[in-house]
Amino acid sequence: MTEPQDKSPLVVVDGATKTFVTGRLEVQALRGLSLEIHEGDFLALVGPSGSGKTTLLNLIGALDRPTSGVVEVLGHDLSKLNKGQRAKLRLDELGFVFQAYNLVPVLTAAENVEFVLELQGVDAKARRKRALEVLAELGLAELADRRPNELSGGQQQRVAVARAIAARPKLVLADEPTANLDSENAEQLMALMRRLHEEHEVTFVFSTHDPRVVAHATRVVTLVDGQVDSDVQKEREAA
Amino acid sequence: MTGSVSSRYALRSLRRNLGRSLISTLGVGFGVGIGLLALSWMRGEHTMSINAAAGGGVGHLRVTPDGWDERRDDDLRLDDWEPLLERVRATEGVAVATPRNRVAGLLGLGTRSEHVDLTGVDPTTEPRALRYVRDVAHGRYLEPGERGAIVLGSKPARRLGAELGDELVVTALDEQGEMSSMLLVVVGIVETGSDDIDATIAHVALADVEQLSGRPGAGEITILADDVYALDALEARLRPLVPPGADLLTWLQVSPELRMGLEADGAFFDMAVVIILLVVLLGVTSAQLTGVLERRKEFAVLAAIGMRGVSLVKVVLVEGMVLGLTAAVSALAWAAPLSWKLNVDGVNLAALMNGEDDSGMAFGGLLIDPIFHPGFGAWMIPYAFLLALIATITASLYPAWFASRTDPAQALRVDR
Repeated sequence: MTEPQDKSPLVVVDGATKTFVTGRLEVQALRGLSLEIHEGDFLALVGPSGSGKTTLLNLIGALDRPTSGVVEVLGHDLSKLNKGQRAKLRLDELGFVFQAYNLVPVLTAAENVEFVLELQGVDAKARRKRALEVLAELGLAELADRRPNELSGGQQQRVAVARAIAARPKLVLADEPTANLDSENAEQLMALMRRLHEEHEVTFVFSTHDPRVVAHATRVVTLVDGQVDSDVQKEREAA
Repeated sequence: MTGSVSSRYALRSLRRNLGRSLISTLGVGFGVGIGLLALSWMRGEHTMSINAAAGGGVGHLRVTPDGWDERRDDDLRLDDWEPLLERVRATEGVAVATPRNRVAGLLGLGTRSEHVDLTGVDPTTEPRALRYVRDVAHGRYLEPGERGAIVLGSKPARRLGAELGDELVVTALDEQGEMSSMLLVVVGIVETGSDDIDATIAHVALADVEQLSGRPGAGEITILADDVYALDALEARLRPLVPPGADLLTWLQVSPELRMGLEADGAFFDMAVVIILLVVLLGVTSAQLTGVLERRKEFAVLAAIGMRGVSLVKVVLVEGMVLGLTAAVSALAWAAPLSWKLNVDGVNLAALMNGEDDSGMAFGGLLIDPIFHPGFGAWMIPYAFLLALIATITASLYPAWFASRTDPAQALRVDR
């Protein structure tokens, strides 16, 4: 089902398996899954619960390592990277948007965005400037000094997106980014991610159950029982 | 890290659970305060001991013949002691240097006799080195150049039934083992308030002991310093003056009873402080660990966005340091005023003296002031911060390590 791609792959997953062991119980979350993700993809991972979407995102995001098989992210074979090297890869090259926003509650919106830049070693003045710039781009300039509990769910998720893109990552991974949002905010968030994808050529990979979210994707990969069931390039529906 | 987002995160995390942070601070503050009071007590005891030693004849430093420290043999004498005494007296920082020699003798009056250790002294300098003979209760002290006179403590005088003007016969063994004797007139009777101390006082002229023992010269030169806090420097200046065949001892070496007493008390206080700090430390570790566990999701997110384990460790350690700094302030806030009050008013140890009255407590042959003054001073500030920071940073190590081990994937998975 995968159509030929002429863009270089950012991510190569080849025969990846992932087994979780809980006591005597072994759960195979991925079963020899293979997939390539290319620069410029706006890819939706869909599938029923337990199909392996989050596990695959964790692997692509260098948060975890496969039990067997190969996962290469931006040319790095994850099985050869230690914990610190994987942290550096995430910091420098990847952005994350979580279902529950996961902003640091004691920091303001701007500080949440700044945090990533500080970890990268960007000096205080430059990181503050960049954080405000990104927040302004996402329509959050007025809310820069508010803490997460002073923001709506939609605003928090936009701050989370700002945090994810502040360091100009090559790839942004979003796990069910609209699951906690109402339909209006979900639509606004997808439009925002789509704009960032088009204007800044950021590659997005997101897992979702929501057909309205899938409508924004240019590529839809369906997982069933830890394997790729279908991989379809599609025309994006009008925003 | 001041001003950085991560330090703001650490500080605000402490403020987020203000109750727990305050309890941790007060817990460490209490433990450190106890530690400060123990240190204050030990310093007071050290000062009391050094003062007792200084005024009780032990001196701050003492020149003795080689081997005296091991054998405690009062028959030993210093070679060429007079030029040495002059050199010592001329040394900067020496308040007084007084020579002594000793011989064991039997005092007799009528049908009564009493064994005493006769001490030969220089009457000019001895009262400056031994406060018990500054004020003689009955009669007077020895005069320079005076021979055939004795100043007795009240206990041997009482046992002999001696009064001022009585002539006592003293008998001793000389160097050859021959009996030698001499008549001594009682010119003074000393009452220190302690029978134990009074029993040690039987002062005669140096020359009388030389005659009785058949051993010429002094057996020791006892030295008092101008500044007790500069003893090390004075010791360093005096040591080159000490000739071969002689040794320079500190007051702790001269008085092993005091040293052992201080060491025993020090060990007790150290153990008490360690136990208290250990309890406090475990409490803070528990509180810090709870704080880390509560923020497991946050740490997982921070790890996911690329924060390395070492940075997470720093965050938890900064929290520990802030707790330590505030705990040090809280420790000083209650322990310093209490310590000051005890220092100024003193603590009356008379109740601990077992039959002694309020005028003094004998220990190791020394009269100790029953009003004890625990130490107090600016030294408490660095100690408070040092103890508090050691406690809180140590207490933060395990929680910090635990935080650094956060597996972002697992934490997020559990959270879902």
